[in-house]
Amino acid sequence: MNVHTKGFSPPEKDELAWLGTRPIPTKPYYDPEWYADEIEAIFKRSWIQIGHVCELPQPDSYIVRELEFAGVSLLITRGSDGEVRAMHNVCTHRGTQLVDTREGTGRKFSCRYHMWTFSNDGNLIGAPDFDRFNVEKSACAIPQVHCGVVAGMIFVNLAKGPVEDLRSWLGDMAAKLEETPVADATHLTEYTYDIDANWKLTYDNFQENYHLRFIHSRTGIASIGEANPFGYPSAYGFYGPHRTQSIWLSPNPSFTPLQWLGVQRSCKALAVRGIDPVGSLMYLALFPATFVFASTQQPFSHTVYPIGPSRSRGVIRLYWTGADASPNERFAREFSGMLLRDVHSEDRSVIEAGQRGLSSGALEHINLQTQESLIRHLFNEVEARVLAFRAEREGGRA
Amino acid sequence: MSTTLPPAFAELEPFVARWAAGTSAARAAVRDEVGPEECARFFAIGFPRVDEALDYLDGKGFAGFDEADQRLMTLMLGLVHAGLAADVQGPDEPRHSLTRSDMKLQVSPADLAPAA
Repeated sequence: MNVHTKGFSPPEKDELAWLGTRPIPTKPYYDPEWYADEIEAIFKRSWIQIGHVCELPQPDSYIVRELEFAGVSLLITRGSDGEVRAMHNVCTHRGTQLVDTREGTGRKFSCRYHMWTFSNDGNLIGAPDFDRFNVEKSACAIPQVHCGVVAGMIFVNLAKGPVEDLRSWLGDMAAKLEETPVADATHLTEYTYDIDANWKLTYDNFQENYHLRFIHSRTGIASIGEANPFGYPSAYGFYGPHRTQSIWLSPNPSFTPLQWLGVQRSCKALAVRGIDPVGSLMYLALFPATFVFASTQQPFSHTVYPIGPSRSRGVIRLYWTGADASPNERFAREFSGMLLRDVHSEDRSVIEAGQRGLSSGALEHINLQTQESLIRHLFNEVEARVLAFRAEREGGRA
Repeated sequence: MSTTLPPAFAELEPFVARWAAGTSAARAAVRDEVGPEECARFFAIGFPRVDEALDYLDGKGFAGFDEADQRLMTLMLGLVHAGLAADVQGPDEPRHSLTRSDMKLQVSPADLAPAA
């Protein structure tokens, strides 16, 4: 448990000096060329979180996900064998998008154009008048996409060749994720937002608490307090491209009456399930653009998907174990989900204001404080990949 | 006026028509539509009754709900939204409401029929 009751001292500047201290260039936050290279160098080569197994609750369930950054629609299925697979949502006849619903159940999928029919593992079962084609059915399977599951979270990797195994990619984060309520979730609260901001700028907002006392003066008061007015985490951790922080919790937060009631009701609901109401307050950031906050009362993930150089989409999901078991639990979950939505609504407009400033070209650099070291770490990881990709491309041209 | 809530909660009757909305997204929309003053009015009368209402509903359990109980449940969920406006955001609610609907609720466990 990462709660400090008094005498809090934040991590020292020296501890983070290895990340560097240079100002961060602004161009990567709006430049279309940089953005295009990020998509190739990062988003088409990394494991991207796109869902949770509770959305595929039984054999033959499926979901569809649009990955706009790649112009790709994915069909994610749970086969009759229970295995989760991801494949392109295309008919291999002439490329028509196969499924136009967001979710459902089905053992097979038929293309409405010419009725080519595929099993939910992607194999072609049959097609009308198939003898008149000059191809074998076995060569007509839907192209698969690398897919993996850790802690119930479904990840895909769009790379065409072999890729590093998901668990290996996550490294130490895999075991940490498995300790969170996300791993046991059966139900979700989800809200989404589109935002006029670069994916990094959007994501970076959620990598620091420096803004809490100003932007969330009414809703973010549990992780700031007299001993820690700027909401420093009690520790940082860096694991390859991923990173963590241990969120500090005030011993005496100045909650409103509704907030106290919500917390009490939530604790009561968790107690019925035998869950520690405080638990871990670990924040787990998964490269490139997902984080999980492992609070037991409000466990959530937030993934930011790029849409354009200055446009992105946030998907926030709270994870619940079991259907609402009682009226009290239903009330507690509504409270937790809606309070978090209020918090994130406060972030959205200030992030867009940040993008307008950066896109104006007025600044060459931005400046990061110690508490913004996670932002620096992400930028370092992004920059290294984009520069390596550019070198690779230039090498290919030479 | 016909009683649509369990009799002990009759004083909340005036809020049923607006606030006993069926989904989390619908309740969030009511908060935006009615404005801060109506949220404050509902919260002032409803909040002192929440503990009693939830304990009563827990005593019945979802399986024992009749229509009046279900309505009270939904009304209490509506109170969460009214309370976020009146109690948490307070004077900031008008400003906060300007862009809140851009946070689009897609899934909520409260939208599901509870397991009997």
